[in-house]
Amino acid sequence: MIDTYRNLDWGYIGPALLEAIGDTIYMVAWAFVFGGIIGLVIGLTLYTTREGGLLASRPVWLLANFVVNLIRPIPFVILIAALQPLTISVIGSGIGNDAVVFVMIWASTFAIARIVEQNLVSIDPGVIEAARAMGATRLRIVLTVMLPEALGPLILGYTFVIIALTDMSALAGIIGGGGIGNFAIVEGYNRFRPEVTWLAVAVVIVFVQSLQMLGNWSAKKVLRR
Amino acid sequence: MPESLIEFRDVTRTFGKGEKAVTAVDDVSLHVDRGEIYGIIGFSGAGKSTLIRMVNGLERPTSGSVRVLGHEISSMAESKLPAVRSRIGMVFQQFNLFRSRNVSGNVAYPLKVAGWSRARRRERVEELLEFVGLSDKAEQYPEELSGGQKQRVGIARALAAEPDILLADESTSALDPSTTAEVLSLLRRANEDLGITILAITHEMEVIRSIADRVAVMDRGRIVESGRVYDIFSNPREDRKAGFVGAALKDRPTSEDVQRIRQSTEGRLVTISLQDSTAMSSVLGRAASHGVSFEIVHGGMNTTKNASYGLLTVAVNGPQPSVDGFLAALADAGQVQEVHG
Repeated sequence: MIDTYRNLDWGYIGPALLEAIGDTIYMVAWAFVFGGIIGLVIGLTLYTTREGGLLASRPVWLLANFVVNLIRPIPFVILIAALQPLTISVIGSGIGNDAVVFVMIWASTFAIARIVEQNLVSIDPGVIEAARAMGATRLRIVLTVMLPEALGPLILGYTFVIIALTDMSALAGIIGGGGIGNFAIVEGYNRFRPEVTWLAVAVVIVFVQSLQMLGNWSAKKVLRR
Repeated sequence: MPESLIEFRDVTRTFGKGEKAVTAVDDVSLHVDRGEIYGIIGFSGAGKSTLIRMVNGLERPTSGSVRVLGHEISSMAESKLPAVRSRIGMVFQQFNLFRSRNVSGNVAYPLKVAGWSRARRRERVEELLEFVGLSDKAEQYPEELSGGQKQRVGIARALAAEPDILLADESTSALDPSTTAEVLSLLRRANEDLGITILAITHEMEVIRSIADRVAVMDRGRIVESGRVYDIFSNPREDRKAGFVGAALKDRPTSEDVQRIRQSTEGRLVTISLQDSTAMSSVLGRAASHGVSFEIVHGGMNTTKNASYGLLTVAVNGPQPSVDGFLAALADAGQVQEVHG
């Protein structure tokens, strides 16, 4: 076993693996930043416009809820295909890492929207009422009460999403993107070299575990328990 | 003429429409004057919460007028309300502290909202924590505090921006009796030392008795009676017997009480309302000279913010004419009512 890895052609596999790791981080990071921000806004919209909410508005809630329900259940592979024309017009190309990032932003936005909404629902409404009673404006309440009060669960929710994004990025190869998933298929599976595939497995395990630990640690720090 | 800081005129609040409509507040008129503590008491569901929330515009009346600090709150745009709200502090039954902020952060929040500078905020927070006796807890988080401590933080936070009015929404209902007393004395100090006007809603008679100057009794959305606390407690009317004052005070025996009393004693049962306890004891002391004996079977003395009063139910034994004579003498010192079981 050890010999198998010792005798691997590291001169080729090493750089290929590093490039794959770089691609995965690139895709996950960009999708997370954009999806995280847009998803937060849509999640806040879902929460604040619901009945009895701070900005209660039935039409806005119905629309936001409909769109989230529409996009969220679409399997990622199908979403990649379905968004092709839009991806080409926005990114300029339907293939490669950036095209994958574009679709990942869509998928993560709506997943995050739901997660944000669910975590905000757990905020004690009394706390929001208290802030209103003090004369805080609605924007201030969103920024200085809602988000801080739900921060711990939100961090865990975002951790969940970043791991889901890692999962999505593994499919990048089907439209010419790179990343660990593509590496596992191209260098390992297609060449009947399971030992190379397992390298990818090991890298993904370390990657996901580190993110989960980081997420748990930050949430714990925020929740102080 | 004292200045009214809060004035409700013909205020009604209905929830829902058509047949399912519920009237939470039904044609209420009342005013709260500067410097007083006004209590509203009623069972849960009586509409008190809705009523108090109309003072700072958290709820809007369906009809009628709510004037607070010279502003017509009922028709004010949501965007204009913050300015008025910053002059009204509010204390909640469940404290509603920000879990994400420590004690200092909670107390400082309304000051940030009101735009105080960092230096002035720090000074004010220190001053307030001293006022509520929690200076040593400044860095702690709400979950590390006891219920009474949480409510003291809630009060410090409500007083922070130097409001004219303090709204107390069941401020002691989640607390045990000894912490209740602590929180009530704090509210009284806020009223006496800082001159803040307090509107308190509660279902606990204790709160009204120990801090309120005036009280309104609320039942199914309506104010069924109101007046000075001492007058209402010391001189309950007959038609009030089944009402809140009687039920909460247990000042008169219920019919079950009467049945139980009847098993162990004979004689005429009367309830005497005492407003002057010394006159009453002197009359009771002369029972022997009237040729009757009596025993106290129910009731006792109570103290309000500035006077004492009581309701005693006594069983009087003796020959019919002597009993009549004794009851006549009692009637000179207080109000006497026969109890029929």
